[in-house]
Amino acid sequence: MAYHSSNSFRLIRAIAPTGLRRVVFAVLLVLSTPHLARGESPSAESLKSLEIYAGVPSSTGSMLQLRGADSQRQLIVTGHYASGKAKDLTRTVVFTTPEGGLLKIGPNGLVTPLKDGVGTLTASVPSSGAGPGPEAVSATIPVQVVGADKALPVNFPNQIAPIFTKAGCNSGGCHGKSGGQNGFRLSLLGFEPAEDYEHLVSESRGRRLFPAAPDHSLLLEKAISSVPHGGGKRLEADSADYRMLRRWIAQGMPYGNSTDPVVTRIEVFPKERVAALGAEQQLAVIAHYSDGSSEDATQSSLYEPNDKEMAKVDASGLVKLYQQPGDVGIMVRYQGKVAVFRATIPLGAEVNDLPPARNFIDSLVFKKLKQLGMPPSSVCDDPTFLRRVTIDIAGRLPTIEESTLFASDTSAEKRDRVIQRLLDSSEYAEYFANKWAALLRNKRNEATHKHGTYLFHDWIRESLLANKPYDVFVREVLAASGDIGRNPPVAWYRQVKNSTSQLEDTAQLFLGVRLQCAQCHHHPYERWSQQDYYSFSAFFSQVGRKPGSQPGEEMVFHKRGVAKATNKKNKEELRPAGLGNAPLELPPEQDPRNSLVDWMAASDNPFFAKSLVNRYWKHFFNRGLVDPEDDIRETNPPSNPELLDALASHFVASKYDLKELIRKLCGSTVYQLSSEPNEFNTNDKQNFSRYYPKRINAEVLYDAIHLITGAETKFDGLPEGTRAVQLPDNSFNASVYFLNVFGRPDSSSSCECERSQDASLAQSLHLLNAKDLQEKIAADKGRAASLAGDFKRDDETKIRELYLAAFSRQPDPLEMKVAIGHLEKKLPSKEGKPEETIPKRRAYEDVIWALLNTKEFLFNH
Amino acid sequence: MNPDHSPHRMREARGEGLFCGKRTLHSFAQLASEILRTELVFFQGLTSKSGRTILNLNQHLQKARASQPEISPKLIGVGPLSPLMLTIHGNSSRFCDGLSRRNFLRIGALGLGGLTLPQLLRAESISGQRQRHKSVIMIFLPGGPSHQDMVDLKMDAPSEIRGEFKPISTSVPGVQICEHLPKIARLMDKMTVIRSMVGAEDNHYAFQCLSGRHQKNAPQGGWPCLGSVLSKLGGSVDRSVPPFVGLSPAMGHVPWSDAGTPGFLGVGHAPFKPNGAGMGDLTLNGSSLDRLSDRKQLLASFDRFRRDVDGSGLMEGLDVFNEQAFGMLTSSKLLEALDIGREDPRVREMYGKGDPKNRDDGGPKLMEQFLMARRLVEAGTRCVTLAFSRWDHHGDNFGALRQDLPLFDQGLSALVTDLHERGLDKDVSVVVWGEFGRTPKINKDGGRDHWPRVSCALLAGGGMRHGQVIGATDRLGGEAVERPVQFGEVFATLYHNLGIDVSKVTLPDLSGRPQFLVDGWQPMKELVG
Repeated sequence: MAYHSSNSFRLIRAIAPTGLRRVVFAVLLVLSTPHLARGESPSAESLKSLEIYAGVPSSTGSMLQLRGADSQRQLIVTGHYASGKAKDLTRTVVFTTPEGGLLKIGPNGLVTPLKDGVGTLTASVPSSGAGPGPEAVSATIPVQVVGADKALPVNFPNQIAPIFTKAGCNSGGCHGKSGGQNGFRLSLLGFEPAEDYEHLVSESRGRRLFPAAPDHSLLLEKAISSVPHGGGKRLEADSADYRMLRRWIAQGMPYGNSTDPVVTRIEVFPKERVAALGAEQQLAVIAHYSDGSSEDATQSSLYEPNDKEMAKVDASGLVKLYQQPGDVGIMVRYQGKVAVFRATIPLGAEVNDLPPARNFIDSLVFKKLKQLGMPPSSVCDDPTFLRRVTIDIAGRLPTIEESTLFASDTSAEKRDRVIQRLLDSSEYAEYFANKWAALLRNKRNEATHKHGTYLFHDWIRESLLANKPYDVFVREVLAASGDIGRNPPVAWYRQVKNSTSQLEDTAQLFLGVRLQCAQCHHHPYERWSQQDYYSFSAFFSQVGRKPGSQPGEEMVFHKRGVAKATNKKNKEELRPAGLGNAPLELPPEQDPRNSLVDWMAASDNPFFAKSLVNRYWKHFFNRGLVDPEDDIRETNPPSNPELLDALASHFVASKYDLKELIRKLCGSTVYQLSSEPNEFNTNDKQNFSRYYPKRINAEVLYDAIHLITGAETKFDGLPEGTRAVQLPDNSFNASVYFLNVFGRPDSSSSCECERSQDASLAQSLHLLNAKDLQEKIAADKGRAASLAGDFKRDDETKIRELYLAAFSRQPDPLEMKVAIGHLEKKLPSKEGKPEETIPKRRAYEDVIWALLNTKEFLFNH
Repeated sequence: MNPDHSPHRMREARGEGLFCGKRTLHSFAQLASEILRTELVFFQGLTSKSGRTILNLNQHLQKARASQPEISPKLIGVGPLSPLMLTIHGNSSRFCDGLSRRNFLRIGALGLGGLTLPQLLRAESISGQRQRHKSVIMIFLPGGPSHQDMVDLKMDAPSEIRGEFKPISTSVPGVQICEHLPKIARLMDKMTVIRSMVGAEDNHYAFQCLSGRHQKNAPQGGWPCLGSVLSKLGGSVDRSVPPFVGLSPAMGHVPWSDAGTPGFLGVGHAPFKPNGAGMGDLTLNGSSLDRLSDRKQLLASFDRFRRDVDGSGLMEGLDVFNEQAFGMLTSSKLLEALDIGREDPRVREMYGKGDPKNRDDGGPKLMEQFLMARRLVEAGTRCVTLAFSRWDHHGDNFGALRQDLPLFDQGLSALVTDLHERGLDKDVSVVVWGEFGRTPKINKDGGRDHWPRVSCALLAGGGMRHGQVIGATDRLGGEAVERPVQFGEVFATLYHNLGIDVSKVTLPDLSGRPQFLVDGWQPMKELVG
């Protein structure tokens, strides 16, 4: 018996007379093969072979094995083409089931047993019939069905709890929230099956389950909404999940034995695929158990794309890609285990004229772009580069002199020289100290904190200026002991008070791992459990404190004792352990924080170097290779894994040299690409085929506005002319509305996301109309007044100066015309009086005001 | 394919109720043609209660489509409508938050549903009037008002507890409140008294009354207050009026003058404070309207930077906000809303004259705040916070209340009356409370001290079922003995009134964790069930 799996066929089947089916089918097949439908030459895409995946391949090749009445297998049929491409054909092939009705195949390739026996299953793509079309291609797989009529005892953790997860019953918004929903509580995402069992079976006097008449169990009646259920209908009465629950209740609600196998890992097939725009891919998920067995978990797993603009997945594991080239990861979760399917979706354009590769970054990015068929934009011009790199490294606009000098420099390595000059400047250290001070929570909560925040800021700045190796920098913070006055990084411990926030900050800031979730429950997207969380927190268990030498300050010291922490859930005492590492046995006199940094800074640490290079990549490229930059996890894969690895190894090999890293990043051609898209890469958001513009930071923008208007910055208690980038702590945000409204972070979080880069109405109002800014533009000593009062130079020269100062470039003729037009504008004549020209100073104020409000000014592009 | 049209975007975030309400056929025809022109697809879950709206719109869409066959926008799905607000449904509600932070930010900041903000504004401006938006006025009584001297008088208690005031009957039979609140008493059928507020944090601050949360154990960045949540979820109703306005005046004790903090939502969602730094930006500075329009032209000529270089939508957002800002600077709608001089003198008289002097380190008694609040929600603000006087009477409790209660009585009753007279009582919820209650026992100075174990709240409007008393305290007014009400339950109720489903909507905090708007509390069945 032949069964065609496409949905359209089923439709036709319903309406076509039996005799016509085969004919209709053949026509349909041609139409449903996309490359043919698109009119591509069939020979270029001729199908060479088919491959059937049916779970774990055995030594003798793949075999389809079904054991027990509940077993099922998701088949995946992959077509291999002459061009080397592979495509999912699971829903387009014709399956021929073995003789004797051993099994049933659903339209999506899901196999369930009917009867014991052995046989062969065939999948085929028939020839298109007449003409020189493709040949029929088929593949077979041996089949073995055992115990098809045997219902094995149900196991609660492995078979029942996942149903609640899949149906959303135990999600955070429903019964999974702490305290449950309307009196019925389940553990979040089924991480604690024993508790769930308790709640279901024993709570509420056992009214939820009714083994004598399973269908009348409240659990089932609520689930199919035959009695009113706040969460609506979650299951169909004829679904496999319903039948499973029903059988479990009928069996008397067995929990299973403590010796029953547990899931140790899950695997998704395929792991990776290069797929066409708009293509579909069925996934299969295999759960591996502690006894070495495996089960198909495709129907019970949860799926979620990491970028919802690129793909969607339905509950059966069918991935539908959208029309967006790039990479997308599909996170698969089952019983607290995760796996990822990665699809690369090429655009398919010719990539020939690549700009020259200057270092390994370029080779790896270009390699990716070639793979994707996405030609990069061209290299940006000199003024754009100078402005971009000066803002990114030194946190300021280039001066007019710098721009002029750079324009006249004709040497080949002039861009590298600028990078080096900026890295050597104290402005580099100031700008990055500003970044790190916020992340290291250099916050002034009380007036007495000022001494410490100033010292800590200064320490960060000096460390960066001296190019202290990053691992040393981190060790000096995390393992800091003593008095803030003598050892400023101790200030970190003043802000980051208890061991939970210390471990969470450490993980997020230095390892790019967000552990917060695992404090109260197993991390929903990650392998981290509460055990991992509390083991990690044990590193901070021996932090002692006593009053410091200054008011509001503390001394931090190592409290002698064996480092340990208690798992809040199971009350187990835990020794310190790095993430994914064995626990350490440390002698009481050893400060565990040093052991922590030893683990972090080891060259094979999977997080430490990666996290930093990714953070810096984001600083310069406006999107992390992993994004958000501090959320590195298996289920949020990097857009270019090779590049991330290469950067991390380079960073480790350079002995954690931050300036060397920046040199490599900014020295790459990729960093120097234009932000202007070509006809192919407008939608590119993750492959770095062009530069992604970013809004200039609050501090840099504030300084830049002062530079252009010619006003001096002034902050309470600091010398006049201190720039916003140099501010030592967060306390100035309150008094300078501009910094506040443009999102300068308050140092209350170790997350870069605290710096708000959103646009807002208040920002627009402020920039367009703030009294403070208007006064700066119109100041007697400001640039507008001085330009208007300068009679030696003509207006064109002055406009050129303004453009150089604001945009580091010359105005084009049209811009010049607009500006001059405004400077010579006639005001509407008042009654009886002759027409007057706009006052010069006012005209210059207008021009400066307009330049400050352009996107070209507000963005680093 | 324009990403705005992709069905997955539509599925993730459904903008609802943008165009419902009464509308002429003419505007529907316009709307339909605009939809065709801009190829918008946004009708997920759009209908009026009667089902007519969508029908009309469909007819006009078909007509318009027939005349412009080259464009064919799709009408996706029609479903029942909960009014006004953006509801974020999860990816088949697995996590009740299927959105990545990035997507969420874009949607939150720039649009409702599948619409980007500019499209939304364009669509709104051609569709003429909008359905009335829902809003909240939050009135904070700094210092902890004395529940047993206002709405829960204990006449059977011994004299050291009883207090000096007598109860009076109200318009609701059987409900009595303090003799110094006669106007509120007459309106009791339009209000609800909660006598059993519990769970106060015992902290002299407005935070809990603005956010429904304790400050302790907050996620990084802190909890956002209700107004910031509304700003994040809904954005501006009117392009020239901020969604969240804080009127709370400056006070000596700073945590009382808190008008609401945005917490992890970021400064973009902080309240617009007409007393604060942002206010100065509302009136033209160093410029005239003519000059502003000149400058705007100049800016348009200079600002030729290609917007498509930015794929994040930020540049587009910036343009939209700039346009709004110009709108605010030229339309002065907000300023007018704040200018109570424009109000009918009769109405002003109803609100009465207050006392601009701060009571010690607390607030002044500004009756204008009540009126301004009404004018603001009318103009398009989603949340107004205000604070009135100071209620921390450790000494001479009764003397101080004799001074303040009549003013409070007049201000609040005027607001409630006014909302009803203008037909706003279904759309605007009012909540009045303080950070805790006061001790049953009167101390040696004739005052009452802090009592976080129980306090009271007054509610009005919002389409709630009024004329009732919820909860009760014991004979001494010291413990809630009936129906203890948590702050979170009141917030869940307010969100419900705003059309927000607290069991579904989440906002990501700084660690990316989806956070619910209230901690598992449900809307109060007594009020909205």
